[in-house]
Amino acid sequence: MVRPTEFKIAHRATEASVTLTITGELDLSTGPVLSESIELLRRDMKALTLDLSELSFMDSTGLRLLIELDQRAKREEWKLVLVRPQYETAAAVLTATGADAALPFEDAAP
Amino acid sequence: MRVMAPTLAEFILDRAHSAVVSMDEQGVVTAWNPSAEVTFGLSRDEALGRPVAELIIPEDLRDAHREGLRRFLATGESRLLDRRLKMRALRADGTELPVEFTISALEGDGHWSFHAFIRDVSERADADRERERLVDELNRALRGSERRFEAIVGSLSDAITIRDHEHRFLYANPPAVAHLGFASWEELRDTAPDTIMSDFLVWDENGGEIRMQDIPSVRILRGEEAEPLLIRTVHRETGVQRWNLLKAAPLLGEDGEVEATITIIEDVTDQKRAEQRGAFLAEASEVLASSLDYEQTLRNVAQLAVPEVADWCAVDLVDDDGDRIKVAVAHIDPERLSLAEELRAYEPERLDPDQGLGFVFRTGQSLLYPEIPEPMLVAAAVDERHMELIRAVGLHSGLVVPMRLGARILGALTLVTSESHRTLDQFDVQLAEQVAARAAVAIENSRLYSQRSSIARTLQQSLLPDQLPEVPGFELASVYLPAMEGSMVGGDFYDVWALGGSWMVIIGDVTGKGVEAAALTSLVRHTMRSASEFLSSPAELLAHVDSTLKNRPTLSVCTALCLRLDGDRATLAIGGHPLPLYVTGQEVTKVGEHGPLLGAFTEAAWEDTTVELEAGSTLVAYTDGITDAVDEERGRFGLERLRDALRGAAGRPAADVAGALTRALAAFQTGAHADDTAAIVIHRPDPVGAPVSQGHDNRLAGVRRGQTD
Repeated sequence: MVRPTEFKIAHRATEASVTLTITGELDLSTGPVLSESIELLRRDMKALTLDLSELSFMDSTGLRLLIELDQRAKREEWKLVLVRPQYETAAAVLTATGADAALPFEDAAP
Repeated sequence: MRVMAPTLAEFILDRAHSAVVSMDEQGVVTAWNPSAEVTFGLSRDEALGRPVAELIIPEDLRDAHREGLRRFLATGESRLLDRRLKMRALRADGTELPVEFTISALEGDGHWSFHAFIRDVSERADADRERERLVDELNRALRGSERRFEAIVGSLSDAITIRDHEHRFLYANPPAVAHLGFASWEELRDTAPDTIMSDFLVWDENGGEIRMQDIPSVRILRGEEAEPLLIRTVHRETGVQRWNLLKAAPLLGEDGEVEATITIIEDVTDQKRAEQRGAFLAEASEVLASSLDYEQTLRNVAQLAVPEVADWCAVDLVDDDGDRIKVAVAHIDPERLSLAEELRAYEPERLDPDQGLGFVFRTGQSLLYPEIPEPMLVAAAVDERHMELIRAVGLHSGLVVPMRLGARILGALTLVTSESHRTLDQFDVQLAEQVAARAAVAIENSRLYSQRSSIARTLQQSLLPDQLPEVPGFELASVYLPAMEGSMVGGDFYDVWALGGSWMVIIGDVTGKGVEAAALTSLVRHTMRSASEFLSSPAELLAHVDSTLKNRPTLSVCTALCLRLDGDRATLAIGGHPLPLYVTGQEVTKVGEHGPLLGAFTEAAWEDTTVELEAGSTLVAYTDGITDAVDEERGRFGLERLRDALRGAAGRPAADVAGALTRALAAFQTGAHADDTAAIVIHRPDPVGAPVSQGHDNRLAGVRRGQTD
């Protein structure tokens, strides 16, 4: 399986929610792009799904971004849902840091 | 009649489109051309010699006619002569027709003769009547629901026009009149539609030119369907730009034919500009955030405003004396950039504090010149070449806005329109002010950056121990490869200290930026060191640091590995950090249990793991800078390469292991490190020399709060 390395954000919005599908590597160089995208969408956002299934790598800055997002969602009372990365290189960070249990990951795919 | 070659006179009269009727002082017909025969239904022979009044003047006007003739002959005064007049005329069959005519009087042989050139305008009058009828009908239709119509049309700020099949205006509400640039409805009504169109430059949304035939109402008249059309217009004279949405619908007559079209001109300028502004400012923020390079940031600022706000933009910074430092200029047309740059070279460094840039620097207030008057330019010109340049660049409209940070003014943006011919207005000033505010932040950030990043770097590194202490029975070595200059990434840290008979070793990674990260590193180390005086369990230490971090006002997270060395035994707990590798012989295994990141999650607990360190074994704790290191093809160094490197140095002194690790990384990595990279190597040489102290059980540590560090 070839891991995607190029960073991409696909944006899908319905009335109820916004879904961002992130492909590639979420790290200190791409993290700000994701932050900026979320910042732009933030105004009318009621629910945000971050689909990380295509994420091939994540470092601590990427993780920090997810934690910040989770805290903000709770503070601003909107719903954040995360979809687990399928690649071990990204999933490992979540396991190693306890983020997989603490962050609002969607349970098994429907 | 005066002497005239009869053949020529006859020739002209015979072919004249107008009816020509001549009479003498008695009001008797003396000439009657073929057109007169057609118009009045009376032959020349029937007409000649008979009084004009009886032939073609309606009865109710005859007295006025006779009186006018009498007065002219008596006094030489006339209200009718040589003027174009409209009147009713009488035909032989007794019906009336509308005519336009002029009468001239000629004197010859002591007698006056009168010549009327008459045009039957009944066809045109029919059209006029038709128009009137249509307008009446519309008005009636509109007033049928009178109050409602008044309420709707009266309160509508949208311009509404109704045009007939020749595209002439039948109706225009006041906003429409104003919108089309007219002072009154009458003025608009009497102006040809083509003329009105030519007052404006008109484009569609994508910048394509819009002509008369593209206008929805004209398309409807051609029998086409007409979608609403969004157009951008710039008035040629005033330079005012507007966005309009044209929506047209046909008005059908009783026969189902299109009699007229109604167009609603919705002025969407504000919406469109707000929309553009939103998109533009979002882009501006992104562009400005994209570089921390000072020079590049200044160039970005200049580029940003062109062509969104204006045709060219100059960026000036202010020095301590209130004078300018010219830093960047951008022009919509790259070929004319050199002109703009040459023009800039003429501008003085010293500024008049009461006008232009000097005024903006001094007061922090924006200036708007909707039109830059010629005298102002002439006055500003230093020499002929300067004037030439000013003319070549073509300054139409301009504004100057301050780049300020709080009360401090860093500089100003000067924006000018030339080729677009657009007149800048208050909206542009607001937009420019917002760009300038963002630019000020970006400029200040990039200015402080180089300075700050080196401070942060120095601070970060100063937090690391100069050299590791001697730990009896062990060899310790460290690897520390700082991230490349300018990455601003938070720091890795490690520390080793004695605690009674045992030793504490910590390694961690603070995620954050610059000075803030350094401060956090300092906090974590300080907390660990002091708490270790009363908490002996690494798991409890992590719990304590976790609660300390959570009490901070901003999200403060870090990974940490905390390890206590007691004789040949290591007790360790891990918070969001990579598991250390234990090397015995050629075997490399992970030890310890994953625990949550510190400072991140509300529910969190850590576990102590105890490891017996065999003689000749090595324990390596590292940060993810090692495994995340990137090669040319964006491959990662990864755990396997790390294992290989450690296997290669198995059983060797700690310093050799650290060296092997550094070399393996250097061979893999192409450039500088994107992230901090750190590792601590703990080697237990053979034979063992240190005393063995009591062991510790694995146990779950609870989160302890309320303790101070």
